[in-house]
Amino acid sequence: MASEQELDAFLRGVEKRAFKRSLYHVRNQESALDIVQDSMMKLAEHYGHKPAAELPMLFQRILTNSTLDWFRRQKTQNALFTRMGDFESNQDGGDFDALESLLLDRDPNQNDNPQNQADRAQTLRVIEEEIQELPARQREAFLMRYWEDMDVAETASTMGCSQGSVKTHCFRAVAALSKALRARGIFL
Amino acid sequence: MNQFGSRIASHLDDALQGVPRDVAERLRAARVQALAGRRMTEAAHAPAVVQQGGSAALQGGFGFWGWAAAVLPLLALTLGLLGIGNFQEQLRAIEIADVDAELLTGDLPTSAYTDPGFAEYLKVDLKN
Repeated sequence: MASEQELDAFLRGVEKRAFKRSLYHVRNQESALDIVQDSMMKLAEHYGHKPAAELPMLFQRILTNSTLDWFRRQKTQNALFTRMGDFESNQDGGDFDALESLLLDRDPNQNDNPQNQADRAQTLRVIEEEIQELPARQREAFLMRYWEDMDVAETASTMGCSQGSVKTHCFRAVAALSKALRARGIFL
Repeated sequence: MNQFGSRIASHLDDALQGVPRDVAERLRAARVQALAGRRMTEAAHAPAVVQQGGSAALQGGFGFWGWAAAVLPLLALTLGLLGIGNFQEQLRAIEIADVDAELLTGDLPTSAYTDPGFAEYLKVDLKN
């Protein structure tokens, strides 16, 4: 059973990332905060007795479900139906073995001069915009795989779809982001 | 492809540093509230555990003397109440028997006690 200190440390470590993930989905700061708060409450009250090692997966699943619940509550908005459709699982799960290999180490921020910082901030702004433009399932799979460092099986379990679908979503997300960023003059 | 995804993720990590102060504060408050909720949930479950512990103790090695100490006072109380009830019933029966005996052995006929005129005579006589 996770102690209160362990739970506190875990939530402290994931809260900002969870907020940004929710924000990319719902595009509304207040709603993203509500989703994260709701997820924290559910984790602490219903799964606080679980071992600390199980908390990350549980929290990711709760956060995903809370985000879906938020979309379900937005029934009056036309945009909802497009996004909800995006959340539906598709069955075209092809194999993309390139995603099976280990993630490369992330590039450290090597240059700290103001010009580079400004360039990096501009790049981040564009990346965030393009991530928000992704279909929801692709965005979810991409963020879990590459930002949360979850493997294909964990991502599939959390998203409630097959591992093949996760690979498909990630492949399409990477392709779409790469194309969109190149079109805006950003080469990573 | 993995390298591209990882570089995107690296940029997204920068976004965490740019979370506004008020958002960070609200996230902190949400975390504190979640931990408080967990404490309340644990407190709500605590009496049930204690109760289960009590029943477990009763089911365990309570022993003959423990059982006797719990049951004998109850048995004594029950027998005492039954005795008192029986004694009061007997007293009531004796009183009724005495009244019946007085009625049957008196000079007046029994029907006189059901006569309204005689009852009125007794009231007037008692007032005088």
